[in-house]
Amino acid sequence: MSGSQCARLGGPLVRQLLDSVDSVLFDCDGVIWRGDQAIPGAARVISLLKQRGKRVVFVTNNSTKTRRMYADKLSSLGFHAAEDDVFGTAFCCAAYLRSECGLRGKVYLVGSDAMRQELEALGIQAVGVGPDPVSGKQLDWASVPLDPEVQAVVVGFDEHFSYMKLNRAMQYLTQKDCLFVGTNRDTRLPLEGGKAVPGTGCLLQAVETAAQRQAQTVGKPSRFMFECVARRFGLRPERCLMVGDRLDTDILLGSACGLKTLLTLTGVSTAAEAAAHRDSGSAERRAMVPDYYVESIADLLPALQGEDEPPL
Amino acid sequence: MAGAFAFKGCQKIRGAQIRVLLEAKEFFLFDCDGVIWHGENAITGAAKVVNALIRRGKNVVFVTNNSTRPRENYVNKFTRLGFTDVMLDQIFSSSYCSALYLRDVVKVRGQVFVIGCEGLRTELLEAGIPCVEEEEDDPDATIYNCALAPDVKAVLVGHDDKLTFLKLAKASCYLRDPECLFLATDNDPWHPLSGGRILPGSGSLTAALEVASGRKATVIGKPSRFMFECISSQFSGVDPAQCLMVGDRLETDMLFGSNCGLDTMLTLTGVSQIEEAQEYRSSDLTTNHSYVPDYVVDTIADFLPAFEEIEEQND
Repeated sequence: MSGSQCARLGGPLVRQLLDSVDSVLFDCDGVIWRGDQAIPGAARVISLLKQRGKRVVFVTNNSTKTRRMYADKLSSLGFHAAEDDVFGTAFCCAAYLRSECGLRGKVYLVGSDAMRQELEALGIQAVGVGPDPVSGKQLDWASVPLDPEVQAVVVGFDEHFSYMKLNRAMQYLTQKDCLFVGTNRDTRLPLEGGKAVPGTGCLLQAVETAAQRQAQTVGKPSRFMFECVARRFGLRPERCLMVGDRLDTDILLGSACGLKTLLTLTGVSTAAEAAAHRDSGSAERRAMVPDYYVESIADLLPALQGEDEPPL
Repeated sequence: MAGAFAFKGCQKIRGAQIRVLLEAKEFFLFDCDGVIWHGENAITGAAKVVNALIRRGKNVVFVTNNSTRPRENYVNKFTRLGFTDVMLDQIFSSSYCSALYLRDVVKVRGQVFVIGCEGLRTELLEAGIPCVEEEEDDPDATIYNCALAPDVKAVLVGHDDKLTFLKLAKASCYLRDPECLFLATDNDPWHPLSGGRILPGSGSLTAALEVASGRKATVIGKPSRFMFECISSQFSGVDPAQCLMVGDRLETDMLFGSNCGLDTMLTLTGVSQIEEAQEYRSSDLTTNHSYVPDYVVDTIADFLPAFEEIEEQND
């Protein structure tokens, strides 16, 4: 929202904000957990929000887990969520291909087994998952056999990424009617203790450069991520709060879809970056300014634990 | 600016016009793939053209972004395909020039992490540049916990058919040090093979690493000027006005020529079509004019009648 001011959220503002929304969408990495460690207080916040009748949904660009695997991770860290409440890009990519692209055939997948599972759950067969090193000569690679039933190239996070996979993806994409979908453009996959590995954005850029084509991405900040959630639960954007740690994905998604936005400082972006965007002259940058920020979502606890009066 | 006004370029020439050009220029720079040969097949007439230029005392050099072979392999290939008298010092590949850059410009002290094939490593080692050993498949190495070599002062990316995620992860770790250089042999997004087939190029690997590191690579190969500086250095100073750059790829060869102040010639036996050149010429963006060749030929074999004319004149 161009009017967003990145105000510090505290005091009576917290109650006010929470009363103005029915649903809260949380990013995961850097918001409720970091790697395999829950953010202190986060589980309690979510539990109290649900007690107060808010719908809580998790929205993540990570494509390496199925909804089932996310639900398991959430449980193991003390958050209790149903599969249905989790939206990762593996699931959303499959949903996008099926509902927006009407795809019923096969895809060539550069991605995880979790992605393959989510695709198959929606009737889309994925080929190409797993290690794929080169063998033979250059001319062989340029003439790799292409499965005529493949209708799309799909790129997500893939630890088995290799030149051969890049090559196959490129060869499929020389066919003009082959669709090209990526899960997200995040440059890094965050890990324990501040470490990071190259993210899906790198792999996607490699394929886009070789094929000289742009992919359609599904993950934040693409609006489809929100639409996927909104359709499932019948949400009204103005009654939703997006809580995230990245200005260029979480907050930008919130702005694009007309949600209220809250930045938490336990992850990637800083308050200074948000302020810089706010004070810039650029409308594009101002779309990355959150309405509010907190140091950690645990800052919501006093308001949630405090008064017992019902909202006005 | 080289040649005529850029926007007047794209001039198809033959016969007498080529003769005039051949007499006016002392230095001929040829790209290889799509100009001199397609894979293992020489372009018909190419060997005769090159041999004739050399016999007439012209300087002929070959400037290629292909980083996969050491220069010795090129010498053998030239011989195999009927080009007589092509010597090692006439061959400028992006891998050879990357080695020169590291040795002479950067004067690198420390190791270089290479994402590339044997041909690239060979050129570096011949120039005395230490490379991080290629890891064997260490069963304990994961992308989340890879062992890093100490004292890595540069990351060099070229064509690597053995690319793995682990290599990308290691490279992006090394590039977190702002003192560690980030070099790329070239940024060609794809390479052509014979028969209209293509393969992913170094440019796609470099792009991945640029996204991972948030940094831009310094590109050694065409269209960057550095390879011309190598040539000029080796031949003790080359006057751009004396040169003709002959290539098949507008975004690489023609831009290279333009960047170095050379006259440029597009041959239509390779990647770019004349329509693409004409589109760039009629573009409103003056930067697009740098892709426009001064001259166009269907094939470099079009030089041959010009040689016969010269011979007739000399009789």
